[in-house]
Amino acid sequence: MLIIKGLKARVEDKQILNGIDLTINPGEVHAIMGPNGSGKSTLAHVLSGRPGYEITGGEVTLDGKDLLSLSPEDRARAGVFLAFQYPVEIPGVNNTYFLKAALNAIRKSKGEEELDAIDFLELVKAKLKPLKMDELMLQRAVNEGFSGGEKKKNEILQMAVLEPKLGILDETDSGLDIDALKVVADGVNALRGKNRSFLVVTHYQRLLDYIVPDQVHVLAGGKIIKTGGKELALELEEKGYGWLTGEKVKA
Amino acid sequence: MSTLTAQEHYLSSFSQLEAKLPGQDAAWLKSLRLQALEQFKQAGFPTDKLESWKYTNLSLNLLKEFFTFEVPASTTVVAAQLKKNGFDTDKAHLVVFVNGKFSKELSSLKPLEKGMTVQNLASVLSNETVKAFIGKIALSQNKAFTALNTAFFTDGLFVQLEAGKVLDAPVHAVYVSTNGSQTTQSHLRNLLVLANDSKVNVIEHYWGENVSAYLTNVVTEVAMATGSTLDHLKIGQEDIKGYHIGSLIAQQEEGSYFASRLFSVGGALTRNDIETTLGKKKAECVLEGLYLAKEGQHVDTRTFIDHLSPNCNSTEVFKGVIDDQAVGVFDGRILVRENAQKTDARQSNKNLLLTKEAKIYSKPQFQIYADDVKCSHGSATGQIDEEALFYLQSRGISRDEAKKVLVYAFAGEMVEKVESGYLKPGLKKLVDSWMEVS
Repeated sequence: MLIIKGLKARVEDKQILNGIDLTINPGEVHAIMGPNGSGKSTLAHVLSGRPGYEITGGEVTLDGKDLLSLSPEDRARAGVFLAFQYPVEIPGVNNTYFLKAALNAIRKSKGEEELDAIDFLELVKAKLKPLKMDELMLQRAVNEGFSGGEKKKNEILQMAVLEPKLGILDETDSGLDIDALKVVADGVNALRGKNRSFLVVTHYQRLLDYIVPDQVHVLAGGKIIKTGGKELALELEEKGYGWLTGEKVKA
Repeated sequence: MSTLTAQEHYLSSFSQLEAKLPGQDAAWLKSLRLQALEQFKQAGFPTDKLESWKYTNLSLNLLKEFFTFEVPASTTVVAAQLKKNGFDTDKAHLVVFVNGKFSKELSSLKPLEKGMTVQNLASVLSNETVKAFIGKIALSQNKAFTALNTAFFTDGLFVQLEAGKVLDAPVHAVYVSTNGSQTTQSHLRNLLVLANDSKVNVIEHYWGENVSAYLTNVVTEVAMATGSTLDHLKIGQEDIKGYHIGSLIAQQEEGSYFASRLFSVGGALTRNDIETTLGKKKAECVLEGLYLAKEGQHVDTRTFIDHLSPNCNSTEVFKGVIDDQAVGVFDGRILVRENAQKTDARQSNKNLLLTKEAKIYSKPQFQIYADDVKCSHGSATGQIDEEALFYLQSRGISRDEAKKVLVYAFAGEMVEKVESGYLKPGLKKLVDSWMEVS
């Protein structure tokens, strides 16, 4: 499904990714862990097409389609979804309107019929329940004045509505209390399936207690320096990143 | 022609036109017109040396045109087009003017109860109320376009409500300009007179379908007696050949409430002056506006609120979206006079620039001579939020569509503030269609 080969990227003059190789098969959940500044979030951003990064080498394909040449919207239409670490507040844009516009843009690109307001509302209400989200959130402006937990739930709601092939979670656990973390993780787990893969970027092992990965990769200095099973995350929690990087870095 | 200046063109045209202007049997009006022409002669056209015209230089364009006065008769469809554009005119008193002249055929004036008048001004020039107010609220001295308007006006809207009268259905006045190979101009004069505790909703809607350049020069005078309420909305939808110069001048008595909302999307060059005098205590005004400009458009909005009396409130919110190489100007002056204690005045101007070439000159001005007042103002100009743009794109919404969503999020607030169910759909369409073709 997702194949990353030798991916290199920089921001202005600073080289951040130094050759990433990663393959995620359909249905798999891969976690990317690593110390601050290792390039974890950059990888998530580069995959989603965020401006400001220069690709200096390598390639990325999703189901054989070259992702790097696509605009952010075309990547979304191809099935990439990035759950933001800091979801953006957009005053004046209604959450329902936004979700409907997004879903219909994606449906249209696939040649599917756009949903009308009634069908859409029915769909979105069904997706709200497992996330324990209030229907009133739909009437509010996108993320405006939302608490940290509400923002992250809103990301997962969007993912549930848009049904991507690849969900990228960028430090989705940051700023969440344990109850919200469980709800968000349950939301993600409910979306797991044989045709949907996840790349979970996280600083801490905690999230992986709830979203159990098939593989864990450790990123340092813009490269994957170790890959293992879910036990690797526990080992890191115990020993810190310094164990692998040879530096005195605490997780 | 080439040796003639624009000013001379107007002065020499007057003698030919004078006998054809409405109000021949009203001696007071004939002398008012002559006086105004003299005032125009003295003042001349404004230059950018004047503070109030600093950012709008007419000599580059408008003053190069010698618009003809005599416009050939022409027909147009109005009610059907308004409906298509979201205004259900069956619910309004529709008053239509084509090229400065009232069109009975295109209008639909419903019967009104006693004490309410909705008419074209030219048909009521012998009315004592008209005589009492025309030229008394909008003064011609040092105001070239007001003076020209007074000298040359052919028609306009007249609304009069006697004490306690409430007109529920909105008065929707439409001013169409349409020409062929010849440039044209029209001078329209509106007069709204509200007696004590009366209430009305008036829409001035300017639109053009033109081949050649044209000028619409309009002056609206508003007299508001104690406790009266006016909801006024102006839609500027001139076409790209149009020059629009408009003044809306109000005088407010005790406890009156004046809401003025401006939606300006059209015209090569548009200048709107909106002024009100809070003349007696507890008067209140709300001035709001949205100006959208693109390509080579120039849109200049100037407001003046004169807090003359104590315990008056004014709230002012103007927003602008400037695209391409267009230029916007907002000049908002609030004067709080010595006697105007307990004034509450708030002003805000926000602008969104969509390109690097787009320009905005925003100039809020407070002059406060009373000590016990609450005044605040803010002016902010920014670009589209790239973070928000990426967020929308990352959800599958195209960049162009995402931009429109964000522009509407900014501009739509001004549409949402309008409570009238009659106006909302049309205003939303107005903003949407501006974004569609940009």
